[in-house]
Amino acid sequence: MEIIRLRNVGKSFGGIKAVNNINMDFLSGRITGLIGPNGAGKTTIFNLIGGFIKVDEGEIYFKNENITNLSPWEISKKGIGRIFQDIRVFKKLTVLENVLLGKSNAGEYPYNVFLRFKEVGKEEKENVERARYWIKFVGLEGMENTPAENLSYGQQKLLSIARLLMGEYEVLLLDEPTAGIHPEIVKKFIELMRKIVENGKTIIFIEHNMNIVSEIADWLFFLKEGEIYDMGKPGDILGNEEIRRIYMGLSDVKT
Amino acid sequence: MISQFLVNGIITGSIYALIGLGFALIYNTTHIFHIAYAGVYVAGSYAYYFFYRVIHLPLFFSFLAGIIVSVVLNLIIEFLIYRPAYKRKSSPMISLISSIGCYICIVNLIALLFGNEVKIIYQGVQPSYNFGNIIVTQIQIIQIVSFVFIFILYLLFMKKTNFGKFIIAFLNNPELLSSIGINIFNLRVIIFIVSGVLAGIASCLVATDIGMDPWSGMSILLVGIVSLIVGGVGKFNTAVLGGFLIGIIQSLVVWKTSAKWQDCITFLILIIFLLFKPEGILGTKRRFEEI
Amino acid sequence: MNYIFHILIMVFIYGILSLSLNLLVGYGGLLSLSHSAFYGIGAYATTLLLIKGVNFFPALIFSIFFTSILSFFIAYPSLRLKGDYFVLATLGFQIIVFSILYNWVGLTKGPYGIPGIPRPKIFNFELSTPFHYFIFSGIFFFIVFLFFRKLYNSPYGRVLKSIREDEIASASLGKDIPLIKIWAFVISCGICAISGSLYATYVTYIDPTSFTLDESIFIMSIVILGGSGNLKGPFIGTCFMIILPEILRFLGLPDTIAPNVRQIIYGLLLIILMKYRPSGIMGEYSLQ
Repeated sequence: MEIIRLRNVGKSFGGIKAVNNINMDFLSGRITGLIGPNGAGKTTIFNLIGGFIKVDEGEIYFKNENITNLSPWEISKKGIGRIFQDIRVFKKLTVLENVLLGKSNAGEYPYNVFLRFKEVGKEEKENVERARYWIKFVGLEGMENTPAENLSYGQQKLLSIARLLMGEYEVLLLDEPTAGIHPEIVKKFIELMRKIVENGKTIIFIEHNMNIVSEIADWLFFLKEGEIYDMGKPGDILGNEEIRRIYMGLSDVKT
Repeated sequence: MISQFLVNGIITGSIYALIGLGFALIYNTTHIFHIAYAGVYVAGSYAYYFFYRVIHLPLFFSFLAGIIVSVVLNLIIEFLIYRPAYKRKSSPMISLISSIGCYICIVNLIALLFGNEVKIIYQGVQPSYNFGNIIVTQIQIIQIVSFVFIFILYLLFMKKTNFGKFIIAFLNNPELLSSIGINIFNLRVIIFIVSGVLAGIASCLVATDIGMDPWSGMSILLVGIVSLIVGGVGKFNTAVLGGFLIGIIQSLVVWKTSAKWQDCITFLILIIFLLFKPEGILGTKRRFEEI
Repeated sequence: MNYIFHILIMVFIYGILSLSLNLLVGYGGLLSLSHSAFYGIGAYATTLLLIKGVNFFPALIFSIFFTSILSFFIAYPSLRLKGDYFVLATLGFQIIVFSILYNWVGLTKGPYGIPGIPRPKIFNFELSTPFHYFIFSGIFFFIVFLFFRKLYNSPYGRVLKSIREDEIASASLGKDIPLIKIWAFVISCGICAISGSLYATYVTYIDPTSFTLDESIFIMSIVILGGSGNLKGPFIGTCFMIILPEILRFLGLPDTIAPNVRQIIYGLLLIILMKYRPSGIMGEYSLQ
């Protein structure tokens, strides 16, 4: 079913139209990719869905509920999570603390800290277990108490993924998840994405690496200058001469 | 009767306008919250006092000396504090706190050297003139005339000279400026000089009228900042509108209730503007879109 | 000996103030210049009740709630403001509150102050000596210290730290940023009321001049100098700022120039620290 729908969404920044008349449906249980040259508006769409910027025109629906212009935390609580192009881990916090923050808990309200301290303590214990599981899952085991700023770029990226997974979101928006990551880990990452989707979740991702795109995407939207230029199965899109011309560097991709 | 208060309001407003302009010049371009400007203000008037009462320089030259000291001090702060902070890419909050530290040092040094009590320049009664039922003292007339004169010079400087045009461009796009070969640092020097002049003139005028003390700089600066917020952020002359508005409102408060509520009302206006119209009456709306 | 107790009592009172401002600055990342206003509101609220014959503890509890609720109404609109504007708004509130305390003579007796504030009575035992007060304020300090320790180490403390690190990332994880900041503000100001109440009953006289903008800057300096973002920083800062003037006096600095010299030292320290060690002497966090 269509889990996220964008209807006639438009956004301008200081007179320049970043995205225009966007109509998109994202199906649940699928991996959908947004591809296109830089500046095409892909990250802007993520920001609009996520509530980080407000739409100028149009609406966004999540499971038939209108979520246009809600605040980022409201949208997150509804079940849409994201990672950022520039990672954004909490540098001075440890790996464990970063992942623990991925999930809401009662202890985040000060009155609960004091009035319901037993419950908060119990929940914290459970969350630490869960967090350790995800830390191990992405391969950062043993680094729980390392401050995030001491991690390498690739490790920080894995951390942000672990933090996202902790949130058990229904929809995951991944902004260039494999950029700067070692090919070995990329493989593991692709497996991970498949597994997540097998459990009924939805992934929407932005990617520039066409090999990865062709390997895992079920559907693609090709954006150019803020508009949807084309959409379809990876085979069709990536095989299209016109698109390959627009999007340089496609000529060496096997489809 | 109200006309007397209106006139008084305009006269005090002219001082707020000057300080607001000087503060706006720095804030609009460099985004530095120059709290130490209050210290620069006070230093100007005390230098004026020193040269006039201690060294016995003629009034006019003492006044000039006061302005020069303000300018020099403003530049010292820029070179010692703000420029290194800019080079280190420190956050604005850190500059703010350094600025507060600077203010504390300057004002307490002055208090140490000259004492905490109010000092006056002019002894004796001021000659005054009647315009209908409005009474204005000589120094008040000088104040408003000076303001008009200075403001015209300021506008000419900003609109006609190259420096002025670059400063306005600085507001919109500092990176572009450096890419066309303009030295930002030299421009900052000009900005701090002009703003120092404005503070010096304002403080010496006030000192001649009602005297000075080490602590009045902060209250004047704060009202100057309110003038900027009310008049409009992001432009270089809107603080004038704010200054006169606040001056008149303060006067009306004195007329209707009493002088003691001036501060309260002034800052209530600040809060209302910050919450409901932060760009001010004539300012440009800031876009807060993150990411 | 009484002199030493006096200094320690001041350390406890300002220690509580700095721990509370630390929640706002070091954890919430919000620079507030209105802390002395809430210190004053707490002091006056307790005082006015004590004068009417209310016992210290109910008066204190009322004062904490009153200050907290008042701070909510200030926090709710102000927290939308960014950076400089937020600081400016807190500055505005500080001046407004001071003006009301100073000029609403009917309520607060204005500049004349309120003398003869009764000392706290615990089960008919009246705290009369500095030693009693030293123990009394020490206990409060200890309780507040434990309170903040629990809070800083809780999930709430973790969320606050995440907000100060990266507000956007934190929001993307479902953290309700304005609500969390408002809580920090409200708790911070409520705790100020404890200091205010302790101060009022210790000195047995209050007037508005103890709660000026300069006082807010002083409290802010404690947190900045000592360092924010953890528990040690504010305490070190308090000890330093309270004990330094006494050392100066000890060294024979005449009382006429001592206050000015002290201020100059604070100012220089602020400048130097911001240049070389923005996280303060023992802090973990430097302002963004």
